[in-house]
Amino acid sequence: MTAVRIDGLTVVYKTPLGELPAVRDVSLELPAGSITGIVGESGSGKSTLALSLLNAVQPPGRIAAGSVEIGGLGDIVGLKGERLRQARGAKIGYVFQAAQNSLNPLKTVGKQLLDLGRSHGVADLRALVREARELLGRMGMDGARVLDSYQHELSGGMRQRVGIMLALVLNAHVVVLDEPTTALDMITQATILKIIREIHAERGLTTLVITHDIGVVAEVADRLAVMYGGRLVEQGPTREVLASPRHPYTRGLIRAIPRLTGDIGLAQALPGRPPTLATVPREGCVFRERCPLRMEVCESVDPPSAAYGERLVACHATAMAGATREETA
Amino acid sequence: MITGTGITKTFRQRGHVLGGQTVQALRGVDFAIPKGGAASFIGESGCGKTTLGRIIAGLESWDAGEITIDGAAMSPLKPKARQPYFRRIQMIHQDPYSALNPTRTIHQTLHAPLKLRARQTGRSAAWVEERAAEVLTLVGLDPGAVLGRYPHQLSGGMRQRVVIARALTVDPEMLVADEAVSMIDVSLRLGILGLLKDLRERLGVSVLFITHDVATARYIGDDGELYVIYRGQVVEHGRVDTVISEPVHPYTQALLSAIPVLHGLEEPGAQPVVPAGGPEAAVDDAGCLFAARCPFRTERCLAERPTLQVTAGVPQEHACFHPERRSVVARPLAEV
Repeated sequence: MTAVRIDGLTVVYKTPLGELPAVRDVSLELPAGSITGIVGESGSGKSTLALSLLNAVQPPGRIAAGSVEIGGLGDIVGLKGERLRQARGAKIGYVFQAAQNSLNPLKTVGKQLLDLGRSHGVADLRALVREARELLGRMGMDGARVLDSYQHELSGGMRQRVGIMLALVLNAHVVVLDEPTTALDMITQATILKIIREIHAERGLTTLVITHDIGVVAEVADRLAVMYGGRLVEQGPTREVLASPRHPYTRGLIRAIPRLTGDIGLAQALPGRPPTLATVPREGCVFRERCPLRMEVCESVDPPSAAYGERLVACHATAMAGATREETA
Repeated sequence: MITGTGITKTFRQRGHVLGGQTVQALRGVDFAIPKGGAASFIGESGCGKTTLGRIIAGLESWDAGEITIDGAAMSPLKPKARQPYFRRIQMIHQDPYSALNPTRTIHQTLHAPLKLRARQTGRSAAWVEERAAEVLTLVGLDPGAVLGRYPHQLSGGMRQRVVIARALTVDPEMLVADEAVSMIDVSLRLGILGLLKDLRERLGVSVLFITHDVATARYIGDDGELYVIYRGQVVEHGRVDTVISEPVHPYTQALLSAIPVLHGLEEPGAQPVVPAGGPEAAVDDAGCLFAARCPFRTERCLAERPTLQVTAGVPQEHACFHPERRSVVARPLAEV
């Protein structure tokens, strides 16, 4: 069963150069009960894609094409006003990038929780507080104390857990986490990732994790989608993609991770720099500037996503290698 | 050569809520960074690694202990007399987005320190221009393409290179890089780390690298020294490769266990160490600083504080009564 189906999504931003796409023709399914990780560098469009799940792309941006079907809710791109506001939070929980800074510094966590409850017309606020306390307790914190605290009294890891609590307390079944562990140190990161995994399983959630760190995805996600220049270039089961990446960008990205073991000389940075909204090529493959397998066809033709088993890869070179393999077989 | 012996630092909290409370940031830290060498300070947020880096860069005072730069002790010197020593040590900050003045071109950013340098050494204006191009080339940037630009026109990786170039304008002997790659895209981190290693080899500058990500410490140079810091105390110290491959202190093991495993490429270590609670769980008493969170603590750990020492059969220094090798690091399944 599919909990979220993104189909042909294009999001554009208005700039002095005209409307430029930050996300272009992206299709992605989130199977119910799965954790999907989206990996991309800065400017790859991953946060814009995540915001589209709430239909919350802010002007000068807008969703130009495509749909985001959410189970039990329909196409969120078509929702407006009060119905859209109610869907956010109740159906889809969102943990913001730097949840550390997304709390109100002037209100205790408990006050913010009550605001959330009232704005969603929750009748039994006591039950809401009880639920919040339980969730916080589940994440290893003293719920009553945290609800009485202001954000400055909590550490980075604790604030992140408060963010997760606020996203889940209204019983949302689809949860989006944008860079959930950025700015946390390694031990806190490991704790948060463990909590995400456990809460996900206990509540039967459908989770989307957005990150620039492939290690984070490797730890939590069942499925991995790699984004570059607003396009999804490769997606598939996490282990499979890590063990045998097919897109040259995925390969380069994995090779660029500083690791604890193995030959230092084998690891190398990707040449070049990630594209920005203005420098993403309008036609042809978005990755070709940095690609070691660049061919003539890459200049003019946008590679379509082709299926290889459970994998989807958008690369001309991979498609050709696949075709040759089939011929020889 | 820069050495520190018994460096301590205590911060006093201000304000009426926490007023009067003290935080011991450093509790008698010893270190030595040879000319052209590399050292890394690792530990979680709040362990004191940044404070130590700032002290070494001359940006922070210390309470007790001694810092020597090329044999000269710093404590007896007046701040003004310390300046020429600390000028040899330059800091690279974490966030290249806020470390550069957004209203100045790269040309202007590099000019200010170079002009000062030219005055000090009696060089000409032409030298300033030449040198600006030279330091940019050193950090792997094309001067023609970068000099006229503003910071916002450059990517994060390029900005960090500009920050390093600016540090190089005063011919430093050491660079202190505090989390210098944590704000940079993962795909470009190795480029910056490789650059720091390259500067060591080509210019003989030493590098002090401060990070919470142990894996990055290897890429500054595998001959480097690693100092694992917990709550202001060095708990393990040795060569980078030794400490990573055969850590003996449970805190080092916890740090290494926390690094994400690339499932499919690696298999996790057989004996991961997970500490109880966060740093806030710790209490200050007579015992080992890590005892409250340590899964292997004994009665002795609660009563007595271990000091950094060498014991039989362990190549690195450690501060643990029960040093034991554990397999915590993920191993590659096969070469890719």
